[in-house]
Amino acid sequence: MDTTCSAKDLAVLLSSSSNSTSSLAAATFLCSQFSNISNKLSDTTYAVDNTYLLFSAYLVFAMQLGFAMLCAGSVRAKNTMNIMLTNVLDAAAGAISYYLFGFAFAFGTPSNGFIGRHHSFFALSSYPERPGADFSFFLYQWAFAIAAAGITSGSIAERTQFVAYLIYSSFLTGFVYPTVSHWFWSTDGWASASRSDNNLLFGSGAIDFAGSGVVHMVGGIAGLWGALIEGPRIGRFDRLGRSVALRGHSASLVVLGTFLLWFGWYGFNPGSFLTILKGYEKSRPYYGQWSAVGRTAVTTTLAGCTSALTTLFSKRLLAGHWNVIDVCNGLLGGFAAITSGCAVVEPWAAIVCGFVASWVLIGFNLLAKKLKYDDPLEAAQLHGGCGAWGVIFTGLFATKRYVNEVYSGDGRPYGLLMGGGGKLLAAQLVQILVIIGWVSVTMGPLFYGLHKMNLLRISREDEMAGMDMTRHGGFAYAYNDEDDLSVKPWGKVEPTSRSSTPTPPLTA
Amino acid sequence: MSGTLTCSVSDLSAMLGPNATAAAEYICGQLGTVDNKFTDAAYAVDNTYLLFSSYLVFSMQIGFAMLCAGSVRAKNTMNIMLTNVLDAAAGGLFYYLFGYAFAFGGSSEGFIGRHNFALRDFPTLTSDYSFFLYQWSFAIAAAGITSGSIAERTQFVAYLIYSSFLTGFVYPIVSHWFWSPYGWASPFRSAQDRLFNTGAIDFAGSGVVHMVGGIAGLWGALIEGPRRGRFEKSGRAISLRGHSASLVVLGTFLLWFGWYGFNPGSFTKILVPYETGSSHGQWSGIGRTAVTTTLAGSTAALTTLFGKRLLSGHWNVTDVCNGLLGGFAAITGGCSVVEPWAAIVCGFVAALVLIGCNKLAEIVQYDDPLEAAQLHGGCGAWGLIFVGLFAKEKYLNEVYGATPGRPYGRLMGGGGKLLGAQLVQILVVAGWVSATMGTLFFMLKKLGLLRISEKDEMAGMDMTRHGGFAYMYYDNDDESHRAIQI
Repeated sequence: MDTTCSAKDLAVLLSSSSNSTSSLAAATFLCSQFSNISNKLSDTTYAVDNTYLLFSAYLVFAMQLGFAMLCAGSVRAKNTMNIMLTNVLDAAAGAISYYLFGFAFAFGTPSNGFIGRHHSFFALSSYPERPGADFSFFLYQWAFAIAAAGITSGSIAERTQFVAYLIYSSFLTGFVYPTVSHWFWSTDGWASASRSDNNLLFGSGAIDFAGSGVVHMVGGIAGLWGALIEGPRIGRFDRLGRSVALRGHSASLVVLGTFLLWFGWYGFNPGSFLTILKGYEKSRPYYGQWSAVGRTAVTTTLAGCTSALTTLFSKRLLAGHWNVIDVCNGLLGGFAAITSGCAVVEPWAAIVCGFVASWVLIGFNLLAKKLKYDDPLEAAQLHGGCGAWGVIFTGLFATKRYVNEVYSGDGRPYGLLMGGGGKLLAAQLVQILVIIGWVSVTMGPLFYGLHKMNLLRISREDEMAGMDMTRHGGFAYAYNDEDDLSVKPWGKVEPTSRSSTPTPPLTA
Repeated sequence: MSGTLTCSVSDLSAMLGPNATAAAEYICGQLGTVDNKFTDAAYAVDNTYLLFSSYLVFSMQIGFAMLCAGSVRAKNTMNIMLTNVLDAAAGGLFYYLFGYAFAFGGSSEGFIGRHNFALRDFPTLTSDYSFFLYQWSFAIAAAGITSGSIAERTQFVAYLIYSSFLTGFVYPIVSHWFWSPYGWASPFRSAQDRLFNTGAIDFAGSGVVHMVGGIAGLWGALIEGPRRGRFEKSGRAISLRGHSASLVVLGTFLLWFGWYGFNPGSFTKILVPYETGSSHGQWSGIGRTAVTTTLAGSTAALTTLFGKRLLSGHWNVTDVCNGLLGGFAAITGGCSVVEPWAAIVCGFVAALVLIGCNKLAEIVQYDDPLEAAQLHGGCGAWGLIFVGLFAKEKYLNEVYGATPGRPYGRLMGGGGKLLGAQLVQILVVAGWVSATMGTLFFMLKKLGLLRISEKDEMAGMDMTRHGGFAYMYYDNDDESHRAIQI
């Protein structure tokens, strides 16, 4: 709505009723009042939008906690301290590296299509310098960056040296991930659907609203390389090639973590609108960005739920029982998949997304077993596999109306199965290939280099004893006093039949 | 600030000429309506912001409960968690009855508030229920801190008494001094009445909350003495390890999450423009505060990681968690008035302060199961000093009202007055809390109500006073595992 007010023009209108001097005064008065209204409205909008984005950022941060608990519950007790420390440090080290350069590489503008580079963004030196970018945006993007690094730690859990972890995590959060987010989310990015100079890839740009590719695939592919290069955990595949389940030590922590991730996803997906106070159509004043935000929360919910239910019944058929751990993983796979298209598809399509995501996860898990690929959190299968499906899903089901609303345009390509042609799907496929390629050529050699320098995997003895005991100051749990000899200690939490070398007893 | 919307019918109709009164009335009426709508919108937005910030601060109770649980031995888990639940519950009642009134009740002579007992005559022009809830969530945080210092050896009755006294009286008075517009050391006082022309700057409570909780805990732990087995006769320290690192990490992350309500929420309003027509207003300061908070905690965590690796030879997640929290406790005082880079300095020093205070505690044989006095007291005090060194003039003027010539951070060129006020705050908080809580703990000890018996301490408080062990991983009748029961 245009709120400009020209005193001269208004005075002309008013002058029919009196002499021109007083009508000019009246007009000036009216115009200045309208200007005040406009300022007040602008202030209100900033306050509302910042509130919305900040609380969304806090929710995304809560996913760190969720992932920490999911990881802890999914590994053996003897490695709990290790995996949780990696999660705490993802957030802490990620804050420093993202503040110093990650944010600038991702969103520094003006820049080129490959990587951001404006000096004022490094260490937030003269930020915020223009409207539309404030600290809330930085915090929100930081919360996403640390999510990506967290994913990778799941693939290499239980057998990776801590130093290797520090190195890959800083590199991923400070460089590899920001570059990818620049391509797809910056207004300068070569493949971005919100590119400002109208030079969109295939006339469309890739649509990855909250990051099935940018976050989940990046984390998952990085994890894939780490886990491939260092090999499976000892005892995971026996001499005959059979896979042996190395069960996590606490289903309660797994469920706690999963629910916290679900909770936080309401910041991850709907929050990616960044603003909420925006009307879309004059003719329907109740319909605006707030509606799209709500719809996105709904599609997110439906995809996760469908995936959880599908996994529940499929695993009942495949394994013969109702398994809460598998259902939790299925749920998360549904969320990882819907993350790309949550804002641009109808709720019914989200159900399709979740249904397929569940099968994609089951399929990739079977493939991993066949190839003797060991991933303690199924991170590569879930985030990489379901993430890729999510990117494709968007190319099939994005609706014309929502694409043009969210990405402000006219006649943009949309989902193939919705009659929108193949250009969007083509852009999505390009996104998948490019992410796989970029992450492989950056993180692959990094992990390989660490491996060659003997900095990647821990020794066999350390792996059998557990990293907590050997590197982290002791066991995570101590349910009985050390001097209480009347009760058997809690040391052994997995049966000795699983490994060829018996687990050493817990020492006081 | 945007201009105000006013409209005078007589002036406008004179300007519009004859027969224009109706038009003028109409226009003024519309502008009045618009003004009301904006006022309503501002209240709605600000209350939404403050309420959700309160819920976040409340979630710090869960965080602290889990942190405490994981940090003590399994046999005392029920006890410590009960104290955390009751902090919130008893605190709720006492803060409502008198705590809030002492803290923020109406005009006063600077020492203690005197209105709004049991929320009478409430809401006022300046404070609504969201403000009460927000302040309540802070009050129970302070009480929670103290319970960490005296964990594993304190009688539950003593706990109830000190907690009510702290939440209902000791803490509210401190918050009155530094946060009420009438407090004698408050920076919210009118400009000519401020201590050293500035008032002490403690934005979200490094002193008011963390030092109060920590010093109270210090006296409790000093007076009742270390846990049995903590220091050998030779003076060597034995670490009495917590029973679950998972709970420690869970608790730490929940505290981090809640801190986004604790620090940025302390602005209490988000819809406050700084300059007319600018895209930057209080919402920017709030975002910046969330960033400084994040950076301080992260730096403290990393510093602790490497510091402890050097000192003890391994990477320790529970130490890193404590370091992280120390960084947060320190930045809490100055989070809104410093640059992000300064927050990194704050966190770095906080980690060193914590390590140092812990070493000192070991030397003097002071036992604090949660390192609460060292972390909240020590890092909290550093946080206040930090403000006196690094506070930026522009941000002080934004947050505390534009005052030409106001003192600011010494290292930023602002003179020594702010640092002076900060030191006064440290001394006064330490003195007041020592005089009140020290005396209370001493009296409880003299009455035999403070510490539990040696037998109870060896068996564990859960077994002897709380109905049984917290954990039951095997069935009663499962002989093969020799179940952990009575």
